[in-house]
Amino acid sequence: MSFMRKVGAGLGAAALSGLMASTAFAVDLQFYFPVAVGGKAATTIQELTDEYAAAHPDVKIDAVYAGSYQDTITKTLTAARGGTPPQLAVILSVDMFTLIDEDVIIPFDDVATTDEDKKWLTSFYPGFMDNSMTDGKTYGIPFQRSTPVMYWNKEAFKEAGLDPELPPATWDEMVEFGKKLTKKDANGTVTQWGLRIPSSGFPYWLFQGLTTENDVILANDAGNKTNFDDPKVVEALNFMVDLSKKHGIMQPGIIEWGATPKAFFERQAAIMWTTTGNLTNVRENAPFDFGVAMLPAHKRRGAPTGGGNFYIFKDSTDEQKAASLDFIKWITAPEQAARWTIATGYVAPSPAAWETQAMIDYVKGFPQALVAREQLEFAVAELATYQNQRVTGILNDALEAAITGTMSAEEALKNAQAEADKVLADYR
Amino acid sequence: MSVDTMEIAVDTSRYDRILNTIGAWALGLLWFLPLIYAVWTAFHPGAYATRFEPFAPLTLQNFVNAWNAAPFAHYFVNTVMLVTMVTLSQFVLCTLAAYAFARFEFPGKTLLFTLVLLQLLVMPEMLIVENYQTMRVLGLIDTIAAIALPYVASGFGIFLLRQTFMTVPKELEEAARIEGAGTLGILWKVYVPLAKPTYLAYGLVSVSYHWNNFLWPLIVTNSVETRPVTVGLSVFSSVDQGIDWSIITAATLMTSGPLLIAFLLFQRQFVQSFMRAGIK
Repeated sequence: MSFMRKVGAGLGAAALSGLMASTAFAVDLQFYFPVAVGGKAATTIQELTDEYAAAHPDVKIDAVYAGSYQDTITKTLTAARGGTPPQLAVILSVDMFTLIDEDVIIPFDDVATTDEDKKWLTSFYPGFMDNSMTDGKTYGIPFQRSTPVMYWNKEAFKEAGLDPELPPATWDEMVEFGKKLTKKDANGTVTQWGLRIPSSGFPYWLFQGLTTENDVILANDAGNKTNFDDPKVVEALNFMVDLSKKHGIMQPGIIEWGATPKAFFERQAAIMWTTTGNLTNVRENAPFDFGVAMLPAHKRRGAPTGGGNFYIFKDSTDEQKAASLDFIKWITAPEQAARWTIATGYVAPSPAAWETQAMIDYVKGFPQALVAREQLEFAVAELATYQNQRVTGILNDALEAAITGTMSAEEALKNAQAEADKVLADYR
Repeated sequence: MSVDTMEIAVDTSRYDRILNTIGAWALGLLWFLPLIYAVWTAFHPGAYATRFEPFAPLTLQNFVNAWNAAPFAHYFVNTVMLVTMVTLSQFVLCTLAAYAFARFEFPGKTLLFTLVLLQLLVMPEMLIVENYQTMRVLGLIDTIAAIALPYVASGFGIFLLRQTFMTVPKELEEAARIEGAGTLGILWKVYVPLAKPTYLAYGLVSVSYHWNNFLWPLIVTNSVETRPVTVGLSVFSSVDQGIDWSIITAATLMTSGPLLIAFLLFQRQFVQSFMRAGIK
């Protein structure tokens, strides 16, 4: 392994010196990016990198589409183990511990050394930095970040005799409104559900909305201990199960993520919880007036953050690291961040981005976009641990077991905690 | 009495045939359903993706959108080059290896053949890191050859052809030898022609596998010049935003279209060769 790495570094250096000879000071950067929100995101990233390259003739930047988030981490780790990691990449913020564990990334503190750089590191929303720092060091810079919010159909609210401008603010209100919003036909078949919280694939994310609101954190900051069997977590899961079982306001069983916006557009559900990454999609496709609100509160307000961060990779020359930093600084700068947000719906990661003219105009025409920013104040770090794929997998399985009714919430979470303990024991 | 039994016999056989026909149609329709849905969704505006209205307006816009979302023209060329390269190299390599295993005695033959068979037990995904390192040492990262190489020495192909070659009567080989054919001449004039159905069946399996392969091409390539259609297709399956079924079905029909058409054209040959080659 280490031999391969050395060979890789040697070859890289040789290639680089060859390049240096031909064009003075040219730096080659390879940049992997995932796409989680449809084709437009890929085009926007390409446009932004082209623009940067045009303004910086000494830097050649190759933006490589790397599939979904899952594909991107697989591609990156394979390339890194094969000795040719990219210089920078956008990868899920929760994969930070995995990348540290694999020893493939460097903290930004190593390269961002000037006073100006240090100030830049603190220019992002703290809610997004929770998932980007560990041990006092910054490993990720927020870029395509999101948070779950609640979308509601104003017309359905009107039909149910509710105030269309007033979304449910608490769990109790959500259940109460949900009952009014659930419509059945003559045979007793539900034609419109009150609420839709998708649970396929990665149910832990929206479930973390519920646990945060129930005032409990799923894992510690060091990423080596989970809290799955806490009574408050059990309580949150029981509430989620009861939405279908007891209150009858949500479709029973596992609910598909991918089909959720469509179900909302087709009025199969009057309220949906989903990512802010959907804002642009809903704005363009909802055939009715809709509102966006923070997730309802219970013991407190709250939601997890989500999405991807920029990382800088270890196996690069100092020039490449410096150039990567410069590119990341440029693309997360207010003007560029605003363009990215408007094109995709991701939450602009710094307060300064919201003060740009483009963003002010955007928000004026589309005030719903502000909700995510307001919610950031209450946001907590998305569940992230060492061996993140395995640990979140364990929790996902437990949630699915409880939702489909094969196990009680308490039993499922107790098992999940025991399994997670086994996986994380090595990291304590 | 005898007339009666005959009538009953005719009756049951007719019954049987009707039941068989109904069963076949039901299974066929079930198998065809996703394709019918894809065609319906791809040719209608998004609003009709989950609603069935016989007179919904038809549109080609989904295809236009899908085509414009990624450089598909380039991807198509790459995929065609990839499957041609893989299949041809597999044919050559597997034929030679299978011939050796089927008709020659050499030390370590059983051990070697066991090793070849072991390949069938290893999922290609497990070898991704190892393969990537090999490709990098060869300097082939981001080339179509890098996508193809790990699959060229196919254990399945060798096994299949060896089995076929072993069924060829020795007498034919001897006759050819008397006629003055050399070792390779015999392979070319006797074995290969007799194994045609196997080649056809194996070729189809291989082409459709590599036409659909996604993860390895995504990992080992970086640029539009080398990537296959599946990578282009993946842009549409973004869970975060909710899946746009109209576009994704249009893109799927577009990318699988050539294969579907080829299958329909050569249907009879394929089915026959499958039956002879024993792949199911």
